[in-house]
Amino acid sequence: MLSPVDLDNFFLAFFSAALVILMGAAYALFFTLAKLNGRRLFMVTAYLSYGLLAVSVLLLAEALNLRGYWHIIVWLMLAGYLLAPHGIWHLCCGTHVAAHETANAGDNGRIPAKTEV
Amino acid sequence: MASSTWWSSEDLWRKFAIWVTAIMFLVLIILTFDSVSEIKSGTDRVPPYSVINQRIDYTFDETRNRMAPIIGSEAPLFGAALTTEQAEELVTKGKLTIQAKNCINCHTLLGNGSYYAPDLTKAWLDPAWGSEAIREQLMIGFLMNPSANARTFGSGRKMPNLGITEEEAKGIVAFLKWMSAIDTNGFPHNFQPMKQGG
Amino acid sequence: MTAIAGKLDSKILNGGQKLAVKYFMVAIVLFVAQVAFGLIAGLQYIFPSLFYEMLDFNVNRMVHINAMVVWMLYGFIGAVYWLVEDESGREVVGLKLGNIAFYVLTAAVTVVVIVYLFVQTGPGTHKTLWLINEGREYIEAPRWADIGIVVVILVFFYNISMTFMKGRWSGISGVLVLDLVALAGIYLCGMFFTTNVSIDQYWWWWVIHLWVEATWEVLVGCIMAWGLMKTLGARRKIVTTWLYIEVGLMFGSGILGLGHHYFWIGTPEYWLSIGGFFSALEPIPLVAMVVHAVYDSGVHRFKSTNHPALAWLIAHAFGNFFGAGVWGFMHTLPQINLYTHGTQWSASHGHLAFFGAYATINIAFFYLAMQKWRGNVWMSAGLADNGWKWKWSLGLLNTGVVGMTIALLIAGYEQSFIERAMGGSTWQAYFEGQMHPWYIQAMQWRVVFGIVTVLGVVLLVWDLLTIGRKEARTAAVLESPDTKESFKPSSTGAAAGASAG
Repeated sequence: MLSPVDLDNFFLAFFSAALVILMGAAYALFFTLAKLNGRRLFMVTAYLSYGLLAVSVLLLAEALNLRGYWHIIVWLMLAGYLLAPHGIWHLCCGTHVAAHETANAGDNGRIPAKTEV
Repeated sequence: MASSTWWSSEDLWRKFAIWVTAIMFLVLIILTFDSVSEIKSGTDRVPPYSVINQRIDYTFDETRNRMAPIIGSEAPLFGAALTTEQAEELVTKGKLTIQAKNCINCHTLLGNGSYYAPDLTKAWLDPAWGSEAIREQLMIGFLMNPSANARTFGSGRKMPNLGITEEEAKGIVAFLKWMSAIDTNGFPHNFQPMKQGG
Repeated sequence: MTAIAGKLDSKILNGGQKLAVKYFMVAIVLFVAQVAFGLIAGLQYIFPSLFYEMLDFNVNRMVHINAMVVWMLYGFIGAVYWLVEDESGREVVGLKLGNIAFYVLTAAVTVVVIVYLFVQTGPGTHKTLWLINEGREYIEAPRWADIGIVVVILVFFYNISMTFMKGRWSGISGVLVLDLVALAGIYLCGMFFTTNVSIDQYWWWWVIHLWVEATWEVLVGCIMAWGLMKTLGARRKIVTTWLYIEVGLMFGSGILGLGHHYFWIGTPEYWLSIGGFFSALEPIPLVAMVVHAVYDSGVHRFKSTNHPALAWLIAHAFGNFFGAGVWGFMHTLPQINLYTHGTQWSASHGHLAFFGAYATINIAFFYLAMQKWRGNVWMSAGLADNGWKWKWSLGLLNTGVVGMTIALLIAGYEQSFIERAMGGSTWQAYFEGQMHPWYIQAMQWRVVFGIVTVLGVVLLVWDLLTIGRKEARTAAVLESPDTKESFKPSSTGAAAGASAG
């Protein structure tokens, strides 16, 4: 069961939804920059962005009347957007290290004559 | 220490891609079997075509907290009750005509289509047709000669003449009446249908 | 083509690439048709009597969206033919058949468009659906053409899969071939008639959603992966791993993301939850791309040997993020979609998302193709006339599409508020929404930006026909060690890219 957005919350619904995605990207951007060049300011900005994201998610939940089991989506967004950049960052490092090591071992990314698909 | 971590290996992610795709697709197939069986005509959600013999209404359902169609007493379309086969034939004529005349590139059906002209989901129940007594005739007249009978509400946007025959127009009306009885989970919300019955 | 053929050197292209440029040329013609008919349709909102009962809105809109779908498919097919010989290490198998298929498809598309424009509609019979128009949005092509499309796609599939089979497989080609199976298979779901409109729309969304938000995305992922290796010297192992990650994330969120189209078409209520849940997940792959893009550009200092292509790839990154991510999420949860469904909101989202995700990437590929076709010419900084044509067309096209998107956003906001939420979606409420000053002004601005878009396309075509024409320098050479080592450096001697996704 769902309760549609109230007329008074119409603008808030769109605005907070847009902010969720924009702040999600800002957080990911500054998080990665901070990891790359170690500037503290970037990391602070990243978590400020995440803070704004969290506020936006809560506002969105309020505007869209996300109650009952719809809470799952709220928690999912809060956790997903927080953790995704961490995970992807580790994957970036991991995949690049792996590739460089095999490259050094002489493979260098050449396609073997027959590869499984 | 291993040269590359297991979680960043190409092999793992290939398996990940294959399994995720396979599982999601399998879930979709299972849901599709269920959904298609629930939206066959003659179900609670999508009524049989012979529903055009009955009065259709659309009201707020407190228990489900949303709008829902109500199928009421006998109210045959064009004054003659049809058999199941006849009703299906007529609605099919309407659906064929709606596709053949490319209606969906101006209108929306169930909200899908184009936005140049009004949604047709509840067109049968729209208060713009005045009253039950004149609705069918107005609809037929409009469909057969829209440029002469158009009400543009001041917008100047008129439906063009598409050479719709009387038989096709009747089919379209039957299709619209049947479509208005589909349970669309409360879309459109707050719709105030024409006053019907007594 | 003939007018400037003397300047172009087709001998430098391999067999697949010779066929690819044919696809690209038709794609560009259809792109022009798309914006031209879109402009007429946009004008009809302001001047409803324009071409009334001659070239009505439904005809213009049909040509507008069909031309878009077809030019993008032509672009993708061309891009795959472009890369297949290089990736498989051998000549295209059955190229002659591929060429015949190209001419058959192009002739069929021409006949379909002529029938759309001059016959338009027919009586309400099966014959009309077979010969004139199937009357289902985006897949209006009559049934005879559907069958033709399937045959041509099968030939395309034969060319590509057999070439890899007889040459060599790679991770990228594996994903590509499986994706083509899905692409062709899903199209079959749109080739039947049923009276039941709910079942009709259920399968119709399989074609539309699973093409656009799943198989097309992966196809673009494969093309990008190859492009990044060839043009930036990205390592195959990394690119392939990330292609798998992307496929997992895209299909993981996108396949059941189909649920957000099943809210209001008669389908059971569980789709509200499934659609809402997966829609909330869909932006996460986009956020993942931000991290990876920044990582890549920070770790490797890429040099661009094709500035226009690089610029269009950056436009792709932004357009995809805003169009699919921000614009999609703003109206996707059912609590708000109950009001935005079936309004100009969808048009706003559609314009930016299709442009950002697919038009940009095709245009980038056109520039790569032109660079090679001109004899591997220089396309980095310091182009003739300061490269004003590509810069201005890039600026005009992006300004035009973003402007239209914002105008339609305002119209959609007003429409969903006044017609849907306040007025309850009666016809009276519909026209009240359409007559509101916000809406009328938004439609006027849409046409203004539509004209900007058309100018951008005209300039783009002019630029593609002339870029590198008087260029004597050859393409800049990448100095990344593994481009030299891992592949024959022959292929596209150039290009660029923002990042992998």
